[in-house]
Amino acid sequence: MNTLLELPTPRQEEWRWADMGALKAAAATPQHATGVDPAGLFLDIEGPRLLFVDGRFEPAHSQPGPVQVTQQLATTDHPLGSLTDGEGWSLHLGPEHAALAVQIVHLGTGGESHVPARLMLDADAVASVVETYAGSGWANRLTTLCLGTGARLMRSVRLLQSDGFVSLREEAEVGEAASLVSVFLGAGGMGSRIDGSLLVNGKGGFAEMGGALLTSGSQKQEAAVVVRHDALEGTSRQLWRAVAADKSAASLAARVEVARGAQQTDGEQSLRGLLLQRSATVNLKPELEIFADDVKCAHGATVGELDKMALFYLQSRGIDHARAQALLTRAFVADAIARIGEDAVREAFAADADRWLDTAL
Amino acid sequence: MLKITDLRAEIDGKEILKGLSLEVNAGEVHAIMGPNGAGKSTLGYTLGGRPGYEPTGGSAIFEGQDLLELAPHERAAAGLFLGFQYPVEIPGISNLQFVREALNSQRRARGEAPLSGGEFLKLARAQADALGMDPEMLKRPVNVGFSGGEKKRNEMVQMGIISPKLAILDETDSGLDIDALRAVGEGINRIMRAPDKAVLLITHYQRLLDYVQPDFVHILADGRIVRSGGPELALELEREGYGILAA
Repeated sequence: MNTLLELPTPRQEEWRWADMGALKAAAATPQHATGVDPAGLFLDIEGPRLLFVDGRFEPAHSQPGPVQVTQQLATTDHPLGSLTDGEGWSLHLGPEHAALAVQIVHLGTGGESHVPARLMLDADAVASVVETYAGSGWANRLTTLCLGTGARLMRSVRLLQSDGFVSLREEAEVGEAASLVSVFLGAGGMGSRIDGSLLVNGKGGFAEMGGALLTSGSQKQEAAVVVRHDALEGTSRQLWRAVAADKSAASLAARVEVARGAQQTDGEQSLRGLLLQRSATVNLKPELEIFADDVKCAHGATVGELDKMALFYLQSRGIDHARAQALLTRAFVADAIARIGEDAVREAFAADADRWLDTAL
Repeated sequence: MLKITDLRAEIDGKEILKGLSLEVNAGEVHAIMGPNGAGKSTLGYTLGGRPGYEPTGGSAIFEGQDLLELAPHERAAAGLFLGFQYPVEIPGISNLQFVREALNSQRRARGEAPLSGGEFLKLARAQADALGMDPEMLKRPVNVGFSGGEKKRNEMVQMGIISPKLAILDETDSGLDIDALRAVGEGINRIMRAPDKAVLLITHYQRLLDYVQPDFVHILADGRIVRSGGPELALELEREGYGILAA
């Protein structure tokens, strides 16, 4: 496909760890039966459900409720996000609407699929969106979020494709006293690129984007997030955990920008990597760019192996080596997943991480 | 219960234990004292199976099993408990989850049925109460943010829940104030003073022995037991210092 000719290259700094080879290979896979039952990918939560198979809406397996499926133009200059012109979903919640939990399942059977999405929450609207990626092929998504005054969105996204590639572009505007919390879990066999641009442009807005990337074999996953503070008293959190086994690579680039007038910004970045074998790679790139003088920006970036003394401590109490490794690794990713507000969603994500650990360890 | 014969062990190729022999019978409390660098902690870690503490000769037979042939978790299931001088902090795992997992792993290894959540919680609360630890602390991550004294109490709570046959307690008295010292001492007596249990107390000072009366005291120096005696030996050491070894 022509679009593939315009893909970014590792020569561009923002794309230096991106695995565009895996993306192209995923796009070229012929469609095939995946054996995945999409019904099993929805969690037992009340609310609208939408199924997209290879990027096409499947009304027979969906109850969209107030969510609309429409043709959209991709209004972004992001190199992958801009490929998503076409059929996608959108949701506009007014203040009078009750809190809504939306679930979206994306099942790929091969080839490439591009879906745009637009979510607009008016003042004080509350919603949660849970998305699940399964199957194979290249799933490319653009999600545009706009949170009005006091609106709150909890967004939980899990990447569980067995192979292929998932590229997500998130663009969000967080208004006055609004709150966006988004948690991503990469616990499948696919490659990934999670790309976020969050703008806090209302006073006292809160923006969080974080999660856990778990990689094994020769897999590569990465997240690249920029949070920009352009208003007073904003708060942002970027809490990411990367766990890499075998010869895989997990990469995290997180950037906080504080504009000149954005006084009393409170930013926090925590990037931590865990190498399960020394043949694996974790890349971390924390960046701060601050033009205001009264701000607090905490940041930390560490990569290491499991603490040998902690492993021995667990073993000395009767827990075998493999189980001790699994418990410590689970504990390592736990605080990223703990940010998910709804018990059922958090437990499902924790179970996905556990399943990954059981196979990788 | 435990018979150590001519045990030799090294760390990074350097021999630390140089032919140590010791026999501990059921119902006995033994104290191992000695100057810094004598090999006290190495003895505990070698018996516990810590990686890097390499046995190079001799034997340690525990209840008929060759301890040195077992993986650390198998030693625990066989009834050995190692109390750490510096208990490890583990963010992300609660005390309850950790000890329940540990206890049930041991029970499964011995062919016993695992405890249910309710049964376990009752047991854990009772042990925390007995040691004067706020049961709320059981819900907190293992040792994270605990003071030195709280960590040692937590070791004793774990020991109470697991109820081992043999406890090897490495400098359990270090870093304790007088109240914590008493609580820990009473904990050791309550949990481990029984005809079918035994304790090996590794300590630098006499003060814990004021609370836990040892039946035997051994002085470890340069990787060997150089003197053994009754409780009076600890008092002599306290009075004279380790200088008596040179005499």
